[in-house]
Amino acid sequence: MPVGSVILAFVLGAVIVAVTGGNPFAAYSGLLCGGTGLGCQGGENPALQISTTIVYVIPLITTGVAVALPFRAGLFNIGAEGQMIAGMMACTAIGVRFSSLPAPVLLPMVLVGGMAAGALWAGVAGVLKATVGAHEVVTTIMLNYVAQWLLRYLIIGGPLQVAPGTSKSLPIGAGARLATILPADNSLIIFGLPASVYRVHTGLLLALAAAALFAFLLWRTSLGYEIRAVGQSQRAARYAGVSVARTIIVTMLIAGAFSGFAGAIQIAGVDHNLSDVYFTDTTGFDAIAVALLGLGSAVGIVLAAILFGALHAGGAVMQADAGISGSLVFVLQALILFSIAANFVGQIRRLIPGLGRPAALPPELPPAAPLMTEAADPPPEPA
Amino acid sequence: MSDTTPLAVDMRGITKQFPGVLANNHVDFSVRHGEIHALVGENGAGKSTLMNILYGLVHPDSGEIVINGKPAHIGEPRDAISLGIGMVHQHFMLIPVFSVGENIMLGREPVTGPDLYDHAHARAAINDLTKRYGLALDPDARMGDLPVGLQQRAEIVKVLYRGANYLVLDEPTGVLTPQETKELFVVLRDLVKAGKTIIFISHKLKEVLDISDRITVMRRGRVVGHLITKDTNEEEIATLMVGREVLLRVDKKPANPGAVVLTVENLAATSDRGVPALKGISFELRQGEILGVAGVEGNGQSELMEVIAGTRHASGGRVLLGDRDITTYDARTERDAGVAFIPEDRRGTGLVLSFSIAENSILGRERAPTFSWRQFVLRLVAIREWARKLVKEFDIRTPSIDVAARNLSGGNQQKVIVAREMGSQPKVLLAAQPTRGVDIGAIEFIHRQIVKERDGGAAVLLVSAELDEVRSLSDRIAVMYEGRIVSIEPPDTPEERLGLLMTGGGAQKGAA
Amino acid sequence: MTALGDVLHLLFTANLWQATLAAAVLLLLPALGGVISERSGVVNIAMEGMMLTGAFFGVVADLAWHNVWLATGVAILAGGLMGTIHAVVSIQFRADQIVSGIAINIFAGGLTVFLVNRIYGLQDVGHVGQSELLPYINIPVLDQIPFFGKVLFQQNVVVYAALVLLVLTHVVLFRTRLGLRIRAVGEHPQAADTAGINVFMLRYGAVITSGLLSGLAGAFLAIGVSNTFVPGMTDGRGYIALAAMIFGKWTPFGAFIACLIFGLGEAIYANNSIIHISPYLLSMLPYLITLIVLAGLVGRSTPPAADGLPYVPGSE
Repeated sequence: MPVGSVILAFVLGAVIVAVTGGNPFAAYSGLLCGGTGLGCQGGENPALQISTTIVYVIPLITTGVAVALPFRAGLFNIGAEGQMIAGMMACTAIGVRFSSLPAPVLLPMVLVGGMAAGALWAGVAGVLKATVGAHEVVTTIMLNYVAQWLLRYLIIGGPLQVAPGTSKSLPIGAGARLATILPADNSLIIFGLPASVYRVHTGLLLALAAAALFAFLLWRTSLGYEIRAVGQSQRAARYAGVSVARTIIVTMLIAGAFSGFAGAIQIAGVDHNLSDVYFTDTTGFDAIAVALLGLGSAVGIVLAAILFGALHAGGAVMQADAGISGSLVFVLQALILFSIAANFVGQIRRLIPGLGRPAALPPELPPAAPLMTEAADPPPEPA
Repeated sequence: MSDTTPLAVDMRGITKQFPGVLANNHVDFSVRHGEIHALVGENGAGKSTLMNILYGLVHPDSGEIVINGKPAHIGEPRDAISLGIGMVHQHFMLIPVFSVGENIMLGREPVTGPDLYDHAHARAAINDLTKRYGLALDPDARMGDLPVGLQQRAEIVKVLYRGANYLVLDEPTGVLTPQETKELFVVLRDLVKAGKTIIFISHKLKEVLDISDRITVMRRGRVVGHLITKDTNEEEIATLMVGREVLLRVDKKPANPGAVVLTVENLAATSDRGVPALKGISFELRQGEILGVAGVEGNGQSELMEVIAGTRHASGGRVLLGDRDITTYDARTERDAGVAFIPEDRRGTGLVLSFSIAENSILGRERAPTFSWRQFVLRLVAIREWARKLVKEFDIRTPSIDVAARNLSGGNQQKVIVAREMGSQPKVLLAAQPTRGVDIGAIEFIHRQIVKERDGGAAVLLVSAELDEVRSLSDRIAVMYEGRIVSIEPPDTPEERLGLLMTGGGAQKGAA
Repeated sequence: MTALGDVLHLLFTANLWQATLAAAVLLLLPALGGVISERSGVVNIAMEGMMLTGAFFGVVADLAWHNVWLATGVAILAGGLMGTIHAVVSIQFRADQIVSGIAINIFAGGLTVFLVNRIYGLQDVGHVGQSELLPYINIPVLDQIPFFGKVLFQQNVVVYAALVLLVLTHVVLFRTRLGLRIRAVGEHPQAADTAGINVFMLRYGAVITSGLLSGLAGAFLAIGVSNTFVPGMTDGRGYIALAAMIFGKWTPFGAFIACLIFGLGEAIYANNSIIHISPYLLSMLPYLITLIVLAGLVGRSTPPAADGLPYVPGSE
């Protein structure tokens, strides 16, 4: 079914391109080249394309997890972007401030710092939801904007700026950098380019570990059991003695930590500093599509992350070669989302999206009204 | 009764297949003008489906409907309404935040000017109706604030406002106090005098014998009996409903109560709506006995169970387990201490419907040492073994322990909960409405299990709205009314006395 | 001059409140759409995307045909089209309404940039001429009232329209038969269905209306307040409108009050050259205010009872 959704989306996308006077084949071959290094016609280096794709994929895996975990609790984490940026900011701040510390100390510090910042960012939304019932869709989106403006403040005229007039931060210390998978050696030539050009870094392993941890947490632990129970039936969870409010907060904290981790890995592995590149970043939003397309499973998330990472890498080539805006990728993403959503019929979410203290039962009918009759009654007539 | 007058409602050869279930199998159902006709059967017998077909909510695969001699095509409720059929649903189709008037008028609202809702006209029309049929109602009251009996009355006025001549009432007395039931029956008889015809769906045999003129019995999608009320009795109807001799009483040895295991002192609590629900409850529960709590729903029984089980906060008083004060214990700690709880809402509270049987088998105990290592990592092998054991011991009909709970029948769902709670060898078993909506075979099984627990030394607190169940299972009966225990009676106390106590009268013990 | 002193000084100028009302209207229109949609039981977080689409097509039409009224009509219809997509996916296909809403927003964002590229190549979208923008109208006589004259009666035509729509929405929802039915459908669709009301039609109508209103807001934004299309120019207003709706307890006037508060925040930010705080920190103001507002609603707000639940006929 997810595969069908993807195919359908591509077909509709081709129609949109054709209708507006573009060439869908050129567009898609550009995507294919940029994403997978296959069929490149503009002289691009296939290995480089694959490497670029992988760099995109890495944060998508972890942020995909950051969205998928709260889904299981019945929460929509639209704030993965803001949480990731919070992680980036923390990682950079720590990496700059303590830049002289050696790697075995500094690297864990920046990664943990990123996780903490992300957890804090998501925790605010979690606490608001658990105590006041504030809808997490609105609060996480607000926090996204706050994070983005904070980022601008920090590196444009603010404390992390490297030099006046630029919009970049100081670089993080060498100890905070994640090693690349290929040695950064200019004399080593791989597929026609010096090895240092390939930016694939060990963060890939960390991201995969995060996905595995997510699966373990959700299916093999009592906490994961309780998270799923809360997401499926708050009343049953309360009956079981689970504190719904506490579970919501813990879930958001963990999710934020995953996003923050993604941000920290990104800085530590790729950029080594903050810059305006992240003003228009959309990883956290892509993560929503990743989580949904991946059907909330670790393996699915990794596969979906590969798809969307490839699409984004492909977008740049598509724009250069076929002259079609990279934003087509978002159109495709939205089409995939529609496709999935229309098939899922509320399986993902069971909560009514509204407010109200989590601890109170909604008194809809008078207390004496009988409950639903048992399942032996015929099921409702299929539409 | 002349045979040349057309039947009010004549349904012939109705067949309806749902996925996996043949709900109606060539059903013939006919009702004469001016009679109160009872449609009787167990849950799943097909009576609701048949009436949904009559009302246009469901389309039959084959068969025809003839109303007052004329063939009718009923494609949607609008068609049924225009034919004079009115339905009062089991789960009220009322909007709590709207007024009585707005609820009654919905779909037929009087308007003035450019679509402005005409409050005055609505009020006048309702007052006219309520006077004509003797049903007092305040059109401006907020529906959610009314007691259940009046809400039902609003439902009846709703169908009358649309010109119903043939009223279908689906399990109307489940939510009513005995007094309200009496009032309803008076209303029904008055409506018949005014020329209406009534179809009364119920599984409460005593009431059916009280109010109806004729009875149609359904079982598993078929009509299995047409009876004339004055010529039949409870046993005959029950046998037809179930298909075999029904054991209306449970076989049990006399109780041998031991030490006091649960003490409740002056317990007070508030309901979800902020109103006091428990106003000072005190009693003792001993090992090896079943204490049944009788009472009409809504008098605090639910809250009592929830407070003892730890899912509701007590506002005063104490609960002691042996010597331990467990008043403030949460549900998980209570379970660990040996208090098991079969909740009254099996689908919403007792189970996570999308979880498998295996996963549901540890609901509430996922952090117990047997099921998780260091309270964190689940011991999947142990959990599966446990689930298999429960399925075997409690005869849960399922192809595997990985089936989702929602795919089980109601009786089997309840068995999962019962198995889980009893399987933990509790000291105290709290059972709230343990056999509601469950088929007779499962009811007998669950009753036997409850008695078995008692005989094994557990202390059982049983809450049920079914007086028969309470009387046949309990060793002592506590009657609750308006948040207090009015009296504790022996199990062979006559029903009339219990009914009186349940509605607040006759609190002197032993009065004849 | 301290920053706080700057702000206080600002609060006493009519200019600020004039700007506040205008900013509030940009939020009010989608908020009204949200109220109508959710009152009928459909969660709608797609206002952002519907507004953006309206903004884009409004600009395109204005640049092409040089007629602001026609362009506004196009913008409204474009918003309505997006609303229709949300309606079909949510109501017909019973998709999760939040996912559908987010998909619309992503779709709108991507589609608008894609079309900018298709239509205008890699250059900017052009600027609409002064005479082809939605006009500001000074209401004679009333606009001479000191202070209030400037605030209330020297506004853009869309502001007046929005205030009329505000009153209209309130009257329709709470005084008419149509409004009663809309609310019934949002509270208890089974009850409405058994009463013979067409649940689907009412929900479709409500959601499409929210699209039309958001489209109008988009037009005001792109060819009223500004004069061109910039990708993502809605800047989260659609989401803030959601918060306003929740704060206003799903009532039109309640939402309006919230919109005024947010509008005030925006108006203050627009004056950031006067107030000496980093513009980036000031930019956070509307979003922080939203968070604070939401935090202050201690579980008081309840949405319509059937909000967000797809309706399945015949189920209990």
